[in-house]
Amino acid sequence: MKNDGGQLYTIEGFAAALIMLMTAYLVVNATSVYTAGDTHITDMQLEALGSDALTMMGTNESRLTMSPLESIIENPGTYPDATFRTMFLSLVNNGTGVSMDANAFNESSTTMKYIHFTANYTCWDMNTNTANPNNPISYSRNLTGGEHTVRATKWVIIEKGAVPFCGTTNQPRAVLVEVLLWRD
Amino acid sequence: MARLNDAAQWIILMGFLVSFAFFFLALVINQSTVVGQTTAESVIEFPKNDIQDVRQVILQTKDYPNTSLVRVRDDITNLSITRKSAVVNFTSVNIDNETHILIHYNNGVTEYNENWSAL
Repeated sequence: MKNDGGQLYTIEGFAAALIMLMTAYLVVNATSVYTAGDTHITDMQLEALGSDALTMMGTNESRLTMSPLESIIENPGTYPDATFRTMFLSLVNNGTGVSMDANAFNESSTTMKYIHFTANYTCWDMNTNTANPNNPISYSRNLTGGEHTVRATKWVIIEKGAVPFCGTTNQPRAVLVEVLLWRD
Repeated sequence: MARLNDAAQWIILMGFLVSFAFFFLALVINQSTVVGQTTAESVIEFPKNDIQDVRQVILQTKDYPNTSLVRVRDDITNLSITRKSAVVNFTSVNIDNETHILIHYNNGVTEYNENWSAL
């Protein structure tokens, strides 16, 4: 009598081999697939939040008044600028259950768990024809280099043309405000 | 002679089939996280905020006299290329009392051109 047991065992053998191959494939692949995941999604949200905050600060309330950002750059207070810090921190950290003290900046991470920033602006130096990015505005904590930051920028026109460090003219000047922000 | 009893083999074979089905379902779930990543990457890559921002600052200059316009245009063009690696160019012309501003933006990935006009 003919017997089909051999066929069955062969198929079983093939199936077992496939399973082992697939397992090996998954194990080898798993580390490279799972790394990035959704990290970029939070980057995206943080960048949008920072841009929105800067847009609000760059908008003047009426045609007669300067925007807060323009006024901060034109009349820089002592560094780090407290007006910028208070305004920016309250805009990006506006949420339920966040107890924020914008003046208690640069504290240990146990007391301040929210979004931090450092801000500066770049102007075009007419004397040397180079970009001068070393115009700090304000910060909420020092950058140590380990932070995962995103960058938000905003163009500001300085009407009276008196940009410190970048050659003073009577003409309006455009400067680029650059903010690095990160979650802590 | 008694026939070989192969019921167990069939059960195991069906078990394999079901496990393969589960495996492919898991593969679909595995890929779905990568879909979110690529979406976020392409959103970050598209310079929506840059274009809106540079457009806004350019339109602010529409009533500037020529001497002021030259200065601000110089700043915007030079800072865009050094700080944002974007080629920004704009010209303002007045035709029949209508102001036209031609805006050009190109950061190597996205190019944006606009002919803005107002009376």
